Amino acid sequence: MSDRRPEATAAARLSGLVKRFPGFKLGPLDLTLEPGTVLALVGPNGAGKTTTLNCMAGLMVPDEGGTEVYGAHVHPARTEYRRDVGYVGEENGFFQRWTAGRNLEYMAQLLPGWSRDRANRLADRIALPLGTPVNKLSRGNRTKLAIVAALGHGPRLLLLDEPTAGLDPVVRAEVLDVLWEITEDGEHAVLYSTHVLSDINRLADELVFLRDGRLVLRTGRDELSESWRRISFRLQDEEVELAGVVEHRRVRAEHQVISRDAEATLERLTELGAEAVEVARMTVDEIAVQILKEGHNVARAEG
Amino acid sequence: MWHALKAELIYFRPWLLGGLGIAAFVSTLLTVLARVVDGADGVPGFLAGMFPIIAGMVVAFIAQSYRSEEHRARLLMAGPMVPRQLAGVMVLLPICLVGLGALAGGLFVGAIALLTGPLEAATLPTLGVFAVQFLAYAQMGPLAQEATAARNQRRSRAAVAGWTVFVGAVMFLVASQFILGSAYGVLGQLMTVVAAMVVSAVLYQGRTDFTR
Repeated sequence: MSDRRPEATAAARLSGLVKRFPGFKLGPLDLTLEPGTVLALVGPNGAGKTTTLNCMAGLMVPDEGGTEVYGAHVHPARTEYRRDVGYVGEENGFFQRWTAGRNLEYMAQLLPGWSRDRANRLADRIALPLGTPVNKLSRGNRTKLAIVAALGHGPRLLLLDEPTAGLDPVVRAEVLDVLWEITEDGEHAVLYSTHVLSDINRLADELVFLRDGRLVLRTGRDELSESWRRISFRLQDEEVELAGVVEHRRVRAEHQVISRDAEATLERLTELGAEAVEVARMTVDEIAVQILKEGHNVARAEG
Repeated sequence: MWHALKAELIYFRPWLLGGLGIAAFVSTLLTVLARVVDGADGVPGFLAGMFPIIAGMVVAFIAQSYRSEEHRARLLMAGPMVPRQLAGVMVLLPICLVGLGALAGGLFVGAIALLTGPLEAATLPTLGVFAVQFLAYAQMGPLAQEATAARNQRRSRAAVAGWTVFVGAVMFLVASQFILGSAYGVLGQLMTVVAAMVVSAVLYQGRTDFTR
């Protein structure tokens, strides 16, 4: 494995990435992930999140385009990029009948740069039962093992494929705590795929919305919370054109809209003389649901 | 690659030891029965040694199934292994397991010879012939797996090539039963083993998806 590449390089770069399956096409995807950023890849099941991560981890060869990690080309036949990548998927290839500890010991022998000290400290911190065979571990503990295995060699890019999917609320909160602790130091660039929208609030700096294999929208989490609002008002006009509105419900003179550009919508409402205007903030997961529902329209409007 | 192969052998050691234990029990039972039944001619020496080889072949199939189910490539590709080396592990693991079965079979035959007197001269060569044949069967697993993977990954030419070699190899293995004792039969089976290994390894390296 080669030495680490300079910090200035993007942590990951997807250029025109396309992967085709019967009845599904991912991409073309262009995406850059800067070092120290936590980016959530949000989308419903079948949106192409796992395929994107598999291509980035070098487990799949794209049909077109490519991926770079810290400037190194990602391909199954190359190894330069692997030093910088830690991957947590649903399946991680562990020896199921070996204990978690034995699997980690095997990884210590397999992966250059592995630090037993780092892995043990992390395993200790997240209370991973090292003496239990992997096939006897709960789903939450298997995820914890995958996290330790992904971080043991000190990668700078962490790829997390739905790490909280299928976990009960308590374990989910525990896993999120672990991920939050890992990411808060800002040393890792993280690409985190999820369809559990409430995870976003906790971890992500930026959000990328995928739907049907296409990138619908990329935005900052705070930017998203600032611009989207639920607005209710009273207006006698039956047909009303409002800027930035993605959903509009009306019962007689009572209107309720969801706007992706609250400022523009409120300005227009003032012009129209709307009464009893009430503005409510939306949570990031509520906004995410709207974006995924509206999908292409939002993407077009955002340009 | 050798490190990964060694780890797989250690991982599947309980299955192999279990299989060899069952094989030893069956072989001993047959040998004892043949001795105690009046008028029986006795069990041919090679038959007693054949069961451990069969055990090795069965464990090779089990290993292939488990490795696939446990998505081992995902783990190994986190490290410095490339598809060529993963393919090496895939085709060498059955050789090791059947080889260890053959070794156990030879030792078992030797033990019987110590207890019951000298065996026929042809016993060990016959055992060798069976070992090659079972090794050829064991290599059909990875070959079928890679031909299927090629089809699933829309690599049509690779899939056709894989299935053609698979069908040809199986037909040859069936036909070779009639010339098993001849040098041509053994040579043909050895060539089948090598062809299956090479084609499986080439198909594996051409994979576009290592997640399964």
